[in-house]
Amino acid sequence: MPLSQYFRLINVMARMALRADASRLYLGYIWWVLEPLLWVGVFYVVFVIILGSREEDFLPFLMVGKLSFVWFSKSVTQASNSIVASKGLVGKINVPKTLFPMAAVHEGLYRQAAVFIMMFIYVLIDGYAFTATWVYLIPVMLVNYVMIIACALIGACAVCMARDFAPLIGLGMMFLMFTSGVFWDVRMLADTATAEMVLTLNPLAFLLDAYRQVLLDGMPPDMGHLLSIGAGFGAVLCVMVLVMRRASHYLALKALTA
Amino acid sequence: MSTEAREVMLELDSVSLSYHTGKKTFDAGTHHVLNNVSMTLCKGEALGVIGRNGVGKTTTLRLMAGILAPTSGRVKVAEGKSASLLTLGLGFKPDLSGRDNALLAAMLQGSSRNEAEAFLDGIKEFSELGESFELPVKNYSAGMRARLAFTAALMTHVDILLIDEILSVGDAQFRGKALNAMQNRISGEQTVVFVSHMTDQVKVLCDRVIWLEHGKVVAEGPAAEVVDAYTQKVSRENKYVPEDKEGGQASG
Repeated sequence: MPLSQYFRLINVMARMALRADASRLYLGYIWWVLEPLLWVGVFYVVFVIILGSREEDFLPFLMVGKLSFVWFSKSVTQASNSIVASKGLVGKINVPKTLFPMAAVHEGLYRQAAVFIMMFIYVLIDGYAFTATWVYLIPVMLVNYVMIIACALIGACAVCMARDFAPLIGLGMMFLMFTSGVFWDVRMLADTATAEMVLTLNPLAFLLDAYRQVLLDGMPPDMGHLLSIGAGFGAVLCVMVLVMRRASHYLALKALTA
Repeated sequence: MSTEAREVMLELDSVSLSYHTGKKTFDAGTHHVLNNVSMTLCKGEALGVIGRNGVGKTTTLRLMAGILAPTSGRVKVAEGKSASLLTLGLGFKPDLSGRDNALLAAMLQGSSRNEAEAFLDGIKEFSELGESFELPVKNYSAGMRARLAFTAALMTHVDILLIDEILSVGDAQFRGKALNAMQNRISGEQTVVFVSHMTDQVKVLCDRVIWLEHGKVVAEGPAAEVVDAYTQKVSRENKYVPEDKEGGQASG
């Protein structure tokens, strides 16, 4: 399949899925923004109202962390089930198996565009300044995107090989949510060595922190660290594309028979 | 419909396919679908594949379409030729409309967006789906799905059409229309492999028939001869299939 056709298909599949999804729900496209807002609402009730967090800027902190995290978690979870969910098509047409997770990730990209716009507007309304530092959002988002694709391809292969991975991925997302500093600040950890360790070992924690640094602290992220994460996941992405090309028939057999 | 066309379009050479179920439901967890199957398909030929449920007919088509790879043996498709599998089954995305499904299917088979969109009005008209064409496929009846699948298939232009049970559903009127359309297509230069339980259709459409049993070829030859032998065997083994109803539904 020519590359242009491949990318066109990803876009068509993603847009069709979005349209079908919206037409199923009374509130349609409003859910794109409403769902992440409800998540933030839940955390706000728990951490600000019930647990009485003392920090003043906790809500913007929470919003930036959670809304960026949701991009990763939803895209990867959905992409992980994508080959198996499309087994009807997999059994009918010999297409690159990466098409299905890529379409799911692309669908997530469309949704996230709306979420990010909402997040930026909120941050500005809340009194944070729009500065030249915001330009660092571009590499942060790019690395985040590469990371999502790499993990989506791994997840899609894993679930295709054994359905048992699907609940494990759900559990993994929960684990990541608690360990990536979505609702606690990695930099506020009493032990700086632990903070460094979390940021080094968990690239997602680093990325969430980078979004906050740019948007809330007006500081550029550690670009060396960011680039090394990008390069690492970029390499994983390339390997996964090659593996999935090689194993295309095997994945089809697994999707159809497992 | 001559079998004398010499150009070989597709060849299965001692093809076997087995896989591990992982659940030990078959011997040592391995399920053997096809066992040392060989067949040749020439240009312009209509080849029928018959046999009961689970003998490997759909798997044979999937191997031909390049969707699956054989565990051993070789599948050779003539260079530059495309083979496309047409089934009624689960190929649809249930949440998408008939129009979107048809568009997606055409694009997945290599059409550009514009080419695919050019097919859509023809598909809507032939399938007689009317306004339902714009509704999600999950709201379709089995017959409506069959109409959409068949029509989308008919509009596709590929060198080798692999047809899996696509003419067996739908009402009598549409089935007649579909059969006619398929006959027109076959009487041209279209190369077809046709899998069906509707043995009367196989007789009408195919030049040559292969009978599969337990993943092996048990007979191969002129359509009428092989189909008759098959229906006789099924009739003998199944008292519910009346002897005098030759060509009736013979699924086991």
